Amino acid sequence: MKNLIIYIITAVIFVVTLGVGYLIADQYLGRAPEQPINFSHRIHAGDNEIPCMYCHSYAERARVSGVPNVQRCMGCHKIIKTDSPEIQKVAGYWDRKEPIPWIKVHNLPDHVVFPHKRHVKAGRKCQECHGPVETMDVVKRIAPLKMGWCLKCHGKYDVKNGRECWTCHT
Amino acid sequence: MSGILTRIKDKLKSYRVPGYRTKFDYKWTMVVDLDRCSGCEACVVACYAENNLPVVGKRDCDVSRRFSWIRIERYVEGEYPDVKVKFIPIMCQHCDTAPCEIGCPVYATYHNQDGLNVQVYNRCVGTFTCATYCTYDVRRFNWFTYKWDAPLEQQLNPDVTVREMGVMEKCTFCIQRIRVAKDTAKDEGRKVTDGDMQTACMQSCPTDAITFGDMNDPNSKVSKLAKSPRRYRLLEELDTDPSVIYLKRVMDDKKGSGNGHGSSHG
Repeated sequence: MKNLIIYIITAVIFVVTLGVGYLIADQYLGRAPEQPINFSHRIHAGDNEIPCMYCHSYAERARVSGVPNVQRCMGCHKIIKTDSPEIQKVAGYWDRKEPIPWIKVHNLPDHVVFPHKRHVKAGRKCQECHGPVETMDVVKRIAPLKMGWCLKCHGKYDVKNGRECWTCHT
Repeated sequence: MSGILTRIKDKLKSYRVPGYRTKFDYKWTMVVDLDRCSGCEACVVACYAENNLPVVGKRDCDVSRRFSWIRIERYVEGEYPDVKVKFIPIMCQHCDTAPCEIGCPVYATYHNQDGLNVQVYNRCVGTFTCATYCTYDVRRFNWFTYKWDAPLEQQLNPDVTVREMGVMEKCTFCIQRIRVAKDTAKDEGRKVTDGDMQTACMQSCPTDAITFGDMNDPNSKVSKLAKSPRRYRLLEELDTDPSVIYLKRVMDDKKGSGNGHGSSHG
């Protein structure tokens, strides 16, 4: 009887640990949340070869790369494939004058300053951090986005003041 | 005795980033003209707004937990008809041989390549050593995790971290603005010059008493002002080598203001 209780407690702890681990892993590595619209980067960036910065246009001139506004979507989709149910969802947001509530996949903590501009101007490819987005139907986070991971590149390339705390942290 | 001092100084210098001041670009310096300072405390208010400083309230102020990174010290000399009031704004002096840097057990405060004494919040474990060692009493400790009431959290500066309980902090010379200025200058392929950036206190000063700039640039405003004969630095005899330069307030030394000039020569 006593053994049984110990077994049950061990099993419960095991399951809880697995569950917590799963939740944490979902938050960080391999995070691929379900988006409000079933948008495929494979179709847009892969098959149709639309450059990244056509939609994420702020990447080369601001700290954030920017999620495109609904107008950018509707610019093409007023004409293209208007009968698809997903596009009609976009049109619904457009008609209601609402932004699409996209879920952020790559989310940095508030105390980190990551200027996209500097990295794009230094010639880094988007895929170096974001992975092969043009082959993904659902965007999945492949990078851990931890400080050690940042410093791998900052050590490899000649970054001015690249290992200095206050270059990236506020 | 002097041998020991030299050895300590050499050791301090070896901790610094090698080639500091020659290899790197900037040496940020602030010049405060006390002749212009009217003690209005606009700089204090600006600092609160820019750097997300909490307003701690009366009870905490009474037990010296006030949070201003810059404060105005008042000195009143003389009796009523001949009263002289002097104001000195005191912020972190960003000493080149900073006493706080020796104390920190976790290397949370260190000297960066721009001549700034910076505090790494994530490293800080709150031993309070740096505040004890600080000669100018400018370090502030987060005794609690301070909260902003409902609409006020909207005014927090997104470029600056909101610090939590147990972390030491101090004036950063508005490093977030320096970063933006450097970013813009890099795009244009030049160095940061005068007028590219202002610290919050400098921007709000109604009498332009505060000037901020790069000491390595011989043509910058601060380099010219630093040559003034009125120049002095706080507690210079302690050899902390501060980056903040004060220009002394020159006051007429006459007694009995109604008698016109020269009456004190007797």
